[in-house]
Amino acid sequence: MITIEMHDVSIGYGRNVVLKGINLRVSPGEMVGLIGPNGCGKSTIIRALSRIIPPFSGRILVDGQDITRVSRRELAHLIGVVPQMPLLPSAFTAFEIVLMGRNPHLGFLQYEGPREIAIAWQAMEKTGTQSLAERRVSELSGGEIQGLLMARVLAQETKALLLDEPTANLDIGRQIEILGLIRNLRLDGNMAVLAALHDLNLAAQYCDRLVLIDRGRIYAEGTPREVVTAKNIAEVYGAESCVYSHPVNGLPCVLLKADNARLPGLSDTHEKEFSKD
Amino acid sequence: MNAAPPVHLLHWRGRVYGIAGLIILLAVVAALATTVGSVQIPFLTTGSILLSRLPLIEIVPKWASTLETIIIDIRLPRVILAGLVGAALAAAGATYQGLFRNPLADPYLIGVAQGAALGAVIGFLLPPGWHALGFGIIPLLAFTGALISTTVVYMLARVGKTLPVTTLILAGVALGALLSSIVSYLIISSGEKIHGIMFWLMGSFSLSQWSEVIMVLPYILTGLVVLLLYARSLNLMQLDEEQAQQLGINVERLKLVLLGAATLITAAAVSFVGVIGFVGILIPHAVRLIWGADYRFLLPLSVLTGAIFLILADIIARTVLAPTEIPIGVITAICGAPFFLYLLRRRRRVIF
Repeated sequence: MITIEMHDVSIGYGRNVVLKGINLRVSPGEMVGLIGPNGCGKSTIIRALSRIIPPFSGRILVDGQDITRVSRRELAHLIGVVPQMPLLPSAFTAFEIVLMGRNPHLGFLQYEGPREIAIAWQAMEKTGTQSLAERRVSELSGGEIQGLLMARVLAQETKALLLDEPTANLDIGRQIEILGLIRNLRLDGNMAVLAALHDLNLAAQYCDRLVLIDRGRIYAEGTPREVVTAKNIAEVYGAESCVYSHPVNGLPCVLLKADNARLPGLSDTHEKEFSKD
Repeated sequence: MNAAPPVHLLHWRGRVYGIAGLIILLAVVAALATTVGSVQIPFLTTGSILLSRLPLIEIVPKWASTLETIIIDIRLPRVILAGLVGAALAAAGATYQGLFRNPLADPYLIGVAQGAALGAVIGFLLPPGWHALGFGIIPLLAFTGALISTTVVYMLARVGKTLPVTTLILAGVALGALLSSIVSYLIISSGEKIHGIMFWLMGSFSLSQWSEVIMVLPYILTGLVVLLLYARSLNLMQLDEEQAQQLGINVERLKLVLLGAATLITAAAVSFVGVIGFVGILIPHAVRLIWGADYRFLLPLSVLTGAIFLILADIIARTVLAPTEIPIGVITAICGAPFFLYLLRRRRRVIF
């Protein structure tokens, strides 16, 4: 069980500051969603939390320790990352890729034994990727690769997850499947989960808290109901929308208003009826 | 449900059989290579002479002592050196390809060969007095040249605390071009020494002796052990550097260790036998075509295949036009390229 924290962190590339004064905390068993427009710095936060880019200022704590004092290997025991559209070597088989998740658990002179193989195989079962095991990466679709990355991070057996658009290439059935899997992991395994998500509806359905990022800072933070509002969406994304309560669980749902709302054929009554609330 | 872990998914059996088969093949090819030559010695006699030198085996000599000299002092060091150099170049090539994630990488990509060539050419042009120092001045200068040029490339390519592989390749190619042009100039102005220089540049085992084997051995063995130990890490480097780091690899340290080991064994190999092309780039690809891309098997299989290939190539080099020797680099390309193209056409799938 670990907590991930960012204290007044500024991050960027070269001399270019991307994010400023970020305070963030993900507790065990909690799923926090990072939302915001393209290029707002969601991936940058994930890269900083996995020690790929050092922060300009501020502190990043993992399990109470400063992240710069944790070795790569120790960090890979604690935090697993699912990157967005990563490069995978096309000549490797899906199973070989998943097995790479076991790397932090193996000693210098150790090769993967039956135990490692069994763990990787189970991870593929949980993510529904077993049938891909012997296929080469070059033969897989975007969605299949997404499932494979999920299997790899499960095989890594970490205490926290950082997910960059884990559902980006998935159809709606697989989206629910993968997000359900993540929910079980954090609830049963008490994992801390931080996920960058594009889809506001999925973010609202699956996250305990949402962090809305805009122009290099945190614009809003709180429960999905507090963050996903028509006002916030209009100000951050510049998109007009209607936000409803989900008929089953009452969580916010976003419907976009297209520009063609006033085109002939759509009656005024229709519009009135839906814009009550 | 899933009782037994699906070990078969790693194709260990085929790969382990591959390694075992190649070890046997290597022994056979090495024995064959000591038999074949200008003096015909029966295979059984060769075998007996070789076995008699092993500890715990007593064989009463029934052969002329000149035959023993030919086998033990002339052919055997040559065969061992060919095997070592083949193993070194193939392993270094596989490592560079993995490290740079580039199928076109070969052991000479970052200036080793050009540095060695400049060192060797300077050695050839030194006044005769220098050559009487009692040890091989040319290998020494070639080795020094190779290490200096790669160190310079390394320092040029560094950006802060990191070593971006693209910068490294570009710095290597640029410095290599500079050194090559100096070598070309020196060759043109070398007068009657040009023949010796050209022969060295194309690679040859004709001057192999035990003293050279003993000098090369520690470098190549140490380097190969280091590369084999890091094979699993090299697999992870086939993802990108970011993912490798997120899976617990200290990428910058890994690059330094692998570059150091691969460069050292290449420099040692090149210094004594010249620049032998083709082995380092195509042996690893041939192995990939047959056994897959996993570096834990790719490296040992490349070591064995490289050794076998170069020993065979050397047999051809010294027998086809005997007593004239063909530069070994010519043989490796003439024999290796068609075989590789055959493999490439037979297995039409992604190999890298």
